[in-house]
Amino acid sequence: MSEKASFRTSGGVRGWFGRQPWYVRAVLILFFTVLAYLLPYAGDVPLIGPQIITEGIDWPSALFNMSYYVLLALGLNVVVGYAGLLDLGYVGFFAVGAYGTALLTSPDSVIYADTGWKWLMAVPAALVLTMLAGVILGWPTLRLRGDYLAIVTLGFAEIIRIVATSTTTLRGDRGFASIPHPPGSWNGEPIFGVTDAIPYFWLGLTVIILVILGVRNLDRSRVGRSWLAIREDEEAAEVMGVRTFKYKLWAFAIGAFIGGLGGVLFAGEQSFINSQTFVLQFSILVLAGVVMGGSGNMAGAILGGVLISYIPDRLRGLSFGDTDLYEYRFAIFGAAIILIMVLRPQGLIPSRRRAMELKDREKEVAPL
Amino acid sequence: MLLEIDNVTLAYGRIQALHGISLTVGEGEVVALIGANGAGKSTTMRAVSGLRPVSQGTIRFDGEDITKMRADLRVVRGVSQSPEGRGIFPGMTVRENLEMGAYTRRNRSEIDEDMERAFTLFPRLREREKQAGGTLSGGEQQMLAVGRALMSRPKLLLLDEPSMGLAPMLIQQIFDIIVEINQQGTTVLLVEQNAQQALSRAHRAYVLETGRIVKEGTGADLLNDPAVKDAYLGVA
Repeated sequence: MSEKASFRTSGGVRGWFGRQPWYVRAVLILFFTVLAYLLPYAGDVPLIGPQIITEGIDWPSALFNMSYYVLLALGLNVVVGYAGLLDLGYVGFFAVGAYGTALLTSPDSVIYADTGWKWLMAVPAALVLTMLAGVILGWPTLRLRGDYLAIVTLGFAEIIRIVATSTTTLRGDRGFASIPHPPGSWNGEPIFGVTDAIPYFWLGLTVIILVILGVRNLDRSRVGRSWLAIREDEEAAEVMGVRTFKYKLWAFAIGAFIGGLGGVLFAGEQSFINSQTFVLQFSILVLAGVVMGGSGNMAGAILGGVLISYIPDRLRGLSFGDTDLYEYRFAIFGAAIILIMVLRPQGLIPSRRRAMELKDREKEVAPL
Repeated sequence: MLLEIDNVTLAYGRIQALHGISLTVGEGEVVALIGANGAGKSTTMRAVSGLRPVSQGTIRFDGEDITKMRADLRVVRGVSQSPEGRGIFPGMTVRENLEMGAYTRRNRSEIDEDMERAFTLFPRLREREKQAGGTLSGGEQQMLAVGRALMSRPKLLLLDEPSMGLAPMLIQQIFDIIVEINQQGTTVLLVEQNAQQALSRAHRAYVLETGRIVKEGTGADLLNDPAVKDAYLGVA
């Protein structure tokens, strides 16, 4: 029952990797992990370095942006890629995580007098809150299928945004300021300061690695098998004895949790959030990233998350003649998405199963 | 009686699909439901497997009222369905599909035994063991659907149109296997448009028309019934 086994017999990079003995794989994984942690210094690499790093935005900040986009992509991948549930309002969970943190820690919060927590104390509470939000949204809606579910989730994100905009408790545009940074100090200086984004990127990267390990374990368990069955044929899964509702709810809650993690990190780094942060575009962007990278495959989702964050940030401060390319970021981006979807509809790093399912669905749509 | 459906009505929104259906399936029987498209055959199956809630009436299985029971619990009780349109998991291999059929079971050695039995019943599946379900031909998929449904060790096997889209030779073969499965001790309720085959192989049968049972009897009786001949067997 493992996708891994089938990779071993197949070609390509994944096939090659799967055939290596465990110590070769361990060394490779370690090597790339270290490389990832060294990314903030990419600019120092001669020749290629300056081409890679962003110009209009401080490179470590761009890396931190990538890290929470990657987290969101990983979380959405659980919902869309694994369980096959189309969620168009995923940013709602990111918002709940960020607002949860803000409410518990910011001096602007109405409950600050009672709480006034440090960032780290607020993290578990905010995460529980996002999981609850996932369950509350999922409970009544997961009985719906396909398009209907998509519309309801879209509504959910809008509700969150509108509530954030128009209630006094959530302060709308004025937002929450002075959200505390993560704790810790080094030589008397706080590690997580205002000017240097590198520690935040490292924190984000560490969280990403933990999420990858957790999701991987889930995917290989009975839960993962149930998700796979639901995604491939929900009705058949049900008559096999899969308690579909329960596993869909799990997917939602876990997806929400990971999205919440992104929100918590975001709030901790930015120190300020308001209702402008959580526009609908955000949800669509993350979904585009997941689909572009390769829905159902974590490597694909990660690549997608990196791209949706990196491309616009890289375009910042670039100009072509008199035109500022950043202004055209969504146009350039849209063109890239269309191109990828035409040339590689299964995504850049596809899941083998997903590719098979796509083919199968084509048969249904256009029988020979 | 293993299965007793009593006066069941079921509606999709405002459209009434079943108007008070009653039927029984005894232990060890092969019972066929025949009828035209839209007569309510598949809907009856969905009511039994729990994919669709019924509006009124009761369904009893093995002496227990399962009318409101969740579908996954019905599988544990011993109801197994090979769904309409086969419902093969396209991205899973043949073996993985069969493993899914044993989803509710834990005993590894028993599962392996049943896997072996499925491969013996359908040697073709063994050849295709590592191939993705979506790459199989229609006949192979049908075999896989039946084999997979058997993997839960059901007391009652629900087969929805096992002959759909198959070549005549394969239809014969699939029905031979259904009879074989039945002789090994599994009760079968099957829905068929191929009335000729279904009636000649089943112990008893019910004829459905627009959500009502209009006739019932032994397979042989219905085969010789002039009205059935006229409507479903294509001979006057």
